Amino acid sequence: MTAMRFVLGLAGIISASWGVALLWHWPLTVLVNMALWALVAVVVHDVVFAPLCVAVGWAARRIVPARWWPSVAVAGLCTGVLVVLAIPVFDKPGARPDNATVLDRDYHAGLLISLALVWLAVPTYVLAVRRLPVRQDDVIEQQRTDDVAGEPPSP
Amino acid sequence: MSPVRGTAVTARVGVVLGVAIAVCFLTGLISHFIQHPEPWFPWPTRPVWLYRFTQGAHVISGIAAIPLVIVKLWSVWPKLFERPVIGGPVRQLERLSILVLVGSILFELSTGLLNVAQWYVFKFFFTTSHYAVAYLAAGAVLVHVAVKLPAVRRALGEPIDTVTNGATDGPTRRTVLRGTWLAVAVATVATAGQAVPALRKVSLLAPRSGTGPQGIPVNRSAIAAGVLGSAYAPEYRLIVANGDQVRSFTVAELNALPQTTHRLPIACVEGWSADAEWTGVVLADLLAAVRSPVDRDVRMISLEPPGPYSRTVLPSAHARDRMTLIALRLNGRTLDADHGYPCRLIAPSRPGVLQTKWLSRIEVTQ
Repeated sequence: MTAMRFVLGLAGIISASWGVALLWHWPLTVLVNMALWALVAVVVHDVVFAPLCVAVGWAARRIVPARWWPSVAVAGLCTGVLVVLAIPVFDKPGARPDNATVLDRDYHAGLLISLALVWLAVPTYVLAVRRLPVRQDDVIEQQRTDDVAGEPPSP
Repeated sequence: MSPVRGTAVTARVGVVLGVAIAVCFLTGLISHFIQHPEPWFPWPTRPVWLYRFTQGAHVISGIAAIPLVIVKLWSVWPKLFERPVIGGPVRQLERLSILVLVGSILFELSTGLLNVAQWYVFKFFFTTSHYAVAYLAAGAVLVHVAVKLPAVRRALGEPIDTVTNGATDGPTRRTVLRGTWLAVAVATVATAGQAVPALRKVSLLAPRSGTGPQGIPVNRSAIAAGVLGSAYAPEYRLIVANGDQVRSFTVAELNALPQTTHRLPIACVEGWSADAEWTGVVLADLLAAVRSPVDRDVRMISLEPPGPYSRTVLPSAHARDRMTLIALRLNGRTLDADHGYPCRLIAPSRPGVLQTKWLSRIEVTQ
């Protein structure tokens, strides 16, 4: 494993150095703008988005019944992801009058419908689980064997 | 802090995120080297949908990485406040490397997402910065994997939920993982329709619905290119040149040549793609008319005033391919102005930005 770690680390340093070499002769103002963009992204995540998630989670946990909490948390994650994906299209900031084929959907309705579907899935899931003759999910939840659920849905 | 956070979640989400980033990085490199050819990078002409597939995978894997990054950062967020906050040089170096890792990944994902929606709110040029920072991000990921490999292996070998953690009334780590894969599926379904026709109607947040003039979307309009006047001018001619062998064709003369129809995808660097029926003259026949050798690259020059994509070079493999057309018709009708009237290049397995529209001159490189 040591050899593999060494090779990975070396490949990483070479790749990152090549990235730095490509950027080396760029004008300083451009590099500062790029660094600021990345830094703002990190700060927005670490001191705005993450604490907000903690606060919402903390508050929701005191309101939502325990049985509902897992599905509500998953719906919350999907909501966050959908909102992030909607940001660049929501008010069509990139639209240009000469090309009607870009940003050609109603994204207000699109976000509303997708969020509605996500949140509609919460009661549907909770009620479906309650009606299952064998509480299959409970059985799986309590399993302590090795993980076999490591595969994501294929994109 | 929530007891479901922990290495069990971080490692598993991290592995999948690593795969997504690897796919995104490699498909991105492919797209870069098609647009900036190198002798050691021959890009095949078959299957005709190859670029459509790789570039679709680039944008889909990038968008799939967004929920994965959100969950992965959530799972390690408390580490931000671990003591010592400042610590010694090793600690500072570690924090700096994590800053480079997170900063470069967020840079790539955010600029990519905005570029797909053509929202250029940032004050730097997209393609070159997205390309350079990709090496930085990939390098930071590799170093991170090298550092964390023992911890990842340990975590993957242990059960996901500990007894104490599983006994709480809240979600288990297994639920977090399932929720993450579900969020990846939701993000993919919400956007992938611009590349995957089956999802077209359900991708409510895709920047393109996949329609446009003659049923095909447009990236650069005739108005933006400033070619409306010259494209419809009666004195328009398509010049085909091989050194001093020069032929000139009016639109009527091009239409009088033998016409061939092929079903070829148009696949944009921004990830959208669509299949269409293109009709026109086989490029190899036009090149034969000026006695071009078959091993030459061919320069495509647009009516569009000089700019980054007004002149492109078609590699010889594509130039001699019988499926490469100088298209005059799209889906059975004369090309729309936005699709490149009077004629455009359409070659198999090429980025849309290199399928030069409003052709004025075809030059065999000497």
